[in-house]
Amino acid sequence: MKPAPFEYYVPRSLDEALALLAEHGYDAKPLAGGQSLVPAMNFRLAQPAVLVDLNNLADLAGIMADGEGGLRIGAMTRQRAVERSPLVAQRAPLLAETLPYIAHPQIRNRGTVGGSLAHNDPAAELPAVALALDARMRVRKQDGERVVAASDFFLGIFTTALEPDELLTEIVFPPLPPRSGVAFEEMARRHGDYALVGCAARVTLAENGKVSDSRLVFFSVGDGPVQAVAAAKTLRGQRPGPAAMRASAEAASQEIDPPSDIHASADFRRHLAQVLARRALTRAVDRASALR
Amino acid sequence: MRAIGSSLPRGDAVGKVVGATPYSGDLSMPGMLHAVTLFARRPHARILALDLGEAGRVPGVVCILTAADVPHNRFGLNVPDQPVLCGPGDDEHASRVRFVGDKVAVVVAETVEAAERARALIRVEYEALPVVPNPVAARQTGAPVLHAAHPDNVLLHYRVRKGDTLAGFAQADVVVEGEYSVGGQEHAFLQPEAGLAWLDEEGRVAVACAGQWAHEEQEQIAHALRLPDERVRVIHPAIGGAFGGREDISVQIVLALAAQKTGRPVKMVWTREESIIGHHKRHPMTYRCRTGATRDGRLVAAEVELVSDCGAYASTSTKVLGNATIMAVGPYDIPHVSIDAYTVYTNNVPSGAFRGFGAPQSHFAAESQMNKLAAALGMDPVELRLKNALRDGSLQVTQAPMPAGVSMDHVIEQCAESIGWRRTAQGWQRPAAAQPDSPWLRRGIGFAAAFKNIGFSFGYREHCWATVEIHGGGDIDRVVVRCAGSDVGQGAHLAFQQIAAEALGIEAEKVEIVSADTATTPGSSGSASASRMTFMAGNAIRGAAEKALAMWRDEEDRPVIATYEFNPPATTPMDDMGRSTPNFTYGYVAEAVEAEIDTETGEVRVRRVVCADDVGRAVNPQQVTGQIEGAVVQAQGWATIENFVQRDGLVLTPHLSTYLIPTVRDIPDRVDSIIVEVPDPLGPFGARGMAEMPFIPFAPALTAALHDATGVWFDHLPLTPVRVLETLDEQA
Repeated sequence: MKPAPFEYYVPRSLDEALALLAEHGYDAKPLAGGQSLVPAMNFRLAQPAVLVDLNNLADLAGIMADGEGGLRIGAMTRQRAVERSPLVAQRAPLLAETLPYIAHPQIRNRGTVGGSLAHNDPAAELPAVALALDARMRVRKQDGERVVAASDFFLGIFTTALEPDELLTEIVFPPLPPRSGVAFEEMARRHGDYALVGCAARVTLAENGKVSDSRLVFFSVGDGPVQAVAAAKTLRGQRPGPAAMRASAEAASQEIDPPSDIHASADFRRHLAQVLARRALTRAVDRASALR
Repeated sequence: MRAIGSSLPRGDAVGKVVGATPYSGDLSMPGMLHAVTLFARRPHARILALDLGEAGRVPGVVCILTAADVPHNRFGLNVPDQPVLCGPGDDEHASRVRFVGDKVAVVVAETVEAAERARALIRVEYEALPVVPNPVAARQTGAPVLHAAHPDNVLLHYRVRKGDTLAGFAQADVVVEGEYSVGGQEHAFLQPEAGLAWLDEEGRVAVACAGQWAHEEQEQIAHALRLPDERVRVIHPAIGGAFGGREDISVQIVLALAAQKTGRPVKMVWTREESIIGHHKRHPMTYRCRTGATRDGRLVAAEVELVSDCGAYASTSTKVLGNATIMAVGPYDIPHVSIDAYTVYTNNVPSGAFRGFGAPQSHFAAESQMNKLAAALGMDPVELRLKNALRDGSLQVTQAPMPAGVSMDHVIEQCAESIGWRRTAQGWQRPAAAQPDSPWLRRGIGFAAAFKNIGFSFGYREHCWATVEIHGGGDIDRVVVRCAGSDVGQGAHLAFQQIAAEALGIEAEKVEIVSADTATTPGSSGSASASRMTFMAGNAIRGAAEKALAMWRDEEDRPVIATYEFNPPATTPMDDMGRSTPNFTYGYVAEAVEAEIDTETGEVRVRRVVCADDVGRAVNPQQVTGQIEGAVVQAQGWATIENFVQRDGLVLTPHLSTYLIPTVRDIPDRVDSIIVEVPDPLGPFGARGMAEMPFIPFAPALTAALHDATGVWFDHLPLTPVRVLETLDEQA
C-alpha cells in the first residue's frame, strides 16, 4: 500500500524543525530513519498530515565522550554507527551488545537511536537499555530545553513524555558506577524479528562482593520497557551466587504481566523471562566480578 | 566438449536479479481491465443471496462475475469437486462455501481501486454452517457432510496388505510403537498468484500466468468455459517459484472468463494474504505405527495407520495419499506390512502438492520408527538401515519389485561416512557431537534416509513431448527445442538446453528453448513436479534430438524437424490389497544433521547438514547443489519455524509476519551437498529426478539429532520452542 497524502518539509536547521513542529502540533510527525513510521504510514496505521524530515540535521548525529566515562549520542545517529563505535563499546558496552539484535543490518543502517526511543515500541530493545543505564533524554522545543530521565520518559505503548512540539535531540548515558557489569538477552522466533521476550541487566557490586545495586528491564512483555523493581531489590545486599540469581529471575518473571499472541503464550513468555533474566544477571555479575 | 556435467550459468539469471524479467504480474496491455476476487473468508456457510446492485453502480466497474456466469462450475486437478465461484442457485454443491479461500465473485473494472471499492459493496447473505475443523471431527457420526458423494467425509481409503503381519510380529524380538503428527506448510513462493488474459489474434482466450503445467491448465479452463481445448491458450512467462503450489488453478479460469465476457485484456494479482488463504498447503498428517524386528536387526513386520487432512477440496489429495502409503514404512524391505491410509475432507484450506508430495510426512514417521528401533535394539541407526535397505528386486509394499538402479545402501554409506560415522569391527558407529560449554546447550547428530518416486504414479498415463529443429547448412548453426515443460525457477530450461546440446554434440549456446505456450509447444510435457521434469523432458528432448540428427545426416532438407513422445514404463493403480506397480523409477537420498538445542528456551539450531543425493547424473552440478540447499532450508522451515495455524477453519497466520519462514540467519550454518551418480537405467544420460529428495529425510534426521543430544524423542512437528520444552518436560 501507499501512504495517505501528507505535506513534507525538510528543515535545514534545528530551529526550523522546531518551528514547524510548533506550527503543526499534533498534525506533524518528525521523520528520523523511517524504519517504523514509513511502514506504519504505508499500512495507513499512521496518517500524519505533515512530515518533518530530520535527515538533513547533521548536528543531531554523532557520538561523543561525556566527562569521565559518560557518553552522548545525537538522536539522529544511525544504529549501525553506534554498533560499530569503539567509544560505545568502551563506555556503554550494554548498548554495543544490544545493537546486533535490532532487526537486520539494512534496518540499522537507516534506523536512528532517537527514533527508536521516541517511538517506544513495546518490543524495541533500545528503550529497555536506556532505562537500564539511567539514560537522560535531552529534549528541545522552540523556546526551551529540558532533560528527562529515562524513568520518566517512557509512558506507555508508543507513548513518551515528548510533547508534539518537542524533539528528542540527544541521549546522555552516564558512566556506570565502579564494579558494574551489564548483559543483554533476547529470544525471537526468528532472528531479527521482534523478541518474544528480552531483557537488559545491570549489576553493581560493593567492595565486599555483595550486590549493592541492580537493574532488570524487560521488553516485549508489556506497554514499553518494564522494570522488575522488586526482583532487582531481592538481590541487593546478597552474595550473587546461582541460587540468588535464580530467585531474583524467578521473582522477576512473576512481577511482569506478559501478553499472549500467535507466537507465544503469556505463560511461555514468563518462562522465557525467567531463563533470560537468570542468564543476563549471571553474565552481568561475572563481568562486574572481573572488575573487582 | 560435454554439455552435461558442467555448471553452465543460467541464461535467465541476470534479468531476474536486476528486475528486468517480466513475471505475469508485470504484464500489461492497452485497454486492460483489472480484476479483484471476493473471497468468502468464512470456513463453512451457505450463500442465500447475493446483491450486486450497489457494487455494479460504482463508476469504472465493467462486470461482476458470479457462479451464474460460469458455464461449468466445477474444477479440480484430479477430482472436479471445487466450484469456480460459489453462489446461490440450484446447484447445491456451488451454493456452499467450504473454506475461507472459496471465491464468491470477481469484480472487473477500469482500475484496481474501482474494483476494490465495488468488492466492498457486494452484499452476500450467508447462513453459517457448523465447521469441520479436523479429520477426527470429520469422521465422527453426525458430522456435517462436506461433499455429497462422500457421506463419511473420507475422500479415499488405501489399504495395503503384504504378507501376514500377525505372523510377522510373532517373529519380532523387539516391537516399537509410535504416534506422529506433522503440520501443514505454505509454499511462500516469491511471486503471489497473478495473470493476464485476453483474446488473441486467432480469437483464442489466452492466459499468461504462473503455473506448473500449461496443458493441464488449458484443459481445466476449457472444461469450465465449455470450450474446445484449442480455443484456450496458456502461456507461462517467468515463474517466481512453485514447489507444487501452482499445480492447482488459482486465477486462470476466472481471468479467462473475464476476458471472454468483456472482450478486453484483464489482469489480476493476488495479495500475499490472498495467496496464503487462496492456495492449497502441504497435508497435515497423523500416524500410528508399529514396527517389529528380530534381535539381529532384521525388519519383519510393520503396521501403519495414517490420516491426512484433505481440506475442503480434493486437489491432489488422492495422489499424495498414494505416495504417503507406499512410503509409510520408509525405504526398507519388510516382508509383512499392513497399511491403512485415509484422506478426509474438512473445512480447512485444501491440502495438495508440495515438494515431496506425501513423502516427507511418511518418512518422518517411518524414519523416526527406525531411529527408535535402533535405540531399542542397541544398534547403530546406520547399521540398522543398511541391513534392511531396499535393493534391486526388493518387493515394495505393493508387492511389485523395485525398478532397477536402486542405490539406497550406497547413498546411506556415503552420507554416513561424510559426517564421521566409522566402520568398526562391530559395525557402523555414530560420531559423538562436541558439546558446548553452556550447560543448557546440547548437541547431537542424527541420520535418516528416504526414497521418492520420479514421475506420476499408479497408472497415470505419463508422457512428454518435444520437438527439435536443426538449422544450418553443412554444420549445425542453431537448434530450436520446443518443449512445454515449465521453468518454475528450478532451472529446467537450462537442463533442457544442456541435454539437447549433449545429444547433438554441439555447444549449449546454440540451443534455444521455446517453452510453456500451448500454441507453440507441440504437446503436453506434464507438470513441473514429482521430480520428473529433467527425467521426462530430458528423455523426450534426447529422443527428438537423436531423430533430428539422423534426418540431418540422411536428408538434404533444411531445417530438419523431429518430434518425439517419451513414454516411460506403465504403472498400475493399487487393488484392494494395495497390489500395484506404483512407479517406474525412484530417487534415493540420505541426510545427517548436527543440531543444537537450548534445553531452557526450546530453541533448535541446525549447525550442519550433510545430504547425499543420488541424482543419477548431474546435468548441471551447480543447479543440483542449489536444489539440495534450497530443499534443506525449506525442510528446516517445515520442521522448526513454519507453523500454519488454522482454528475452526480460520487461518490465523495469513501474513508473512505471522507465518514465519527462515531467513538467511536461521538456516543451517553449513550444508554439504554430496552428489551421488549411480545412473538410472531409464534416465536421460542416466539422470534421475532430484528436486524433492533432499527435503524428505531432513525432519527425522533432525529429531534423531535432538534425541542424541537429549535422550528425548520429538514426534510432532513443527518443533516450536514451546513444544520442544513441553516434550522435554514430559520425558524428563
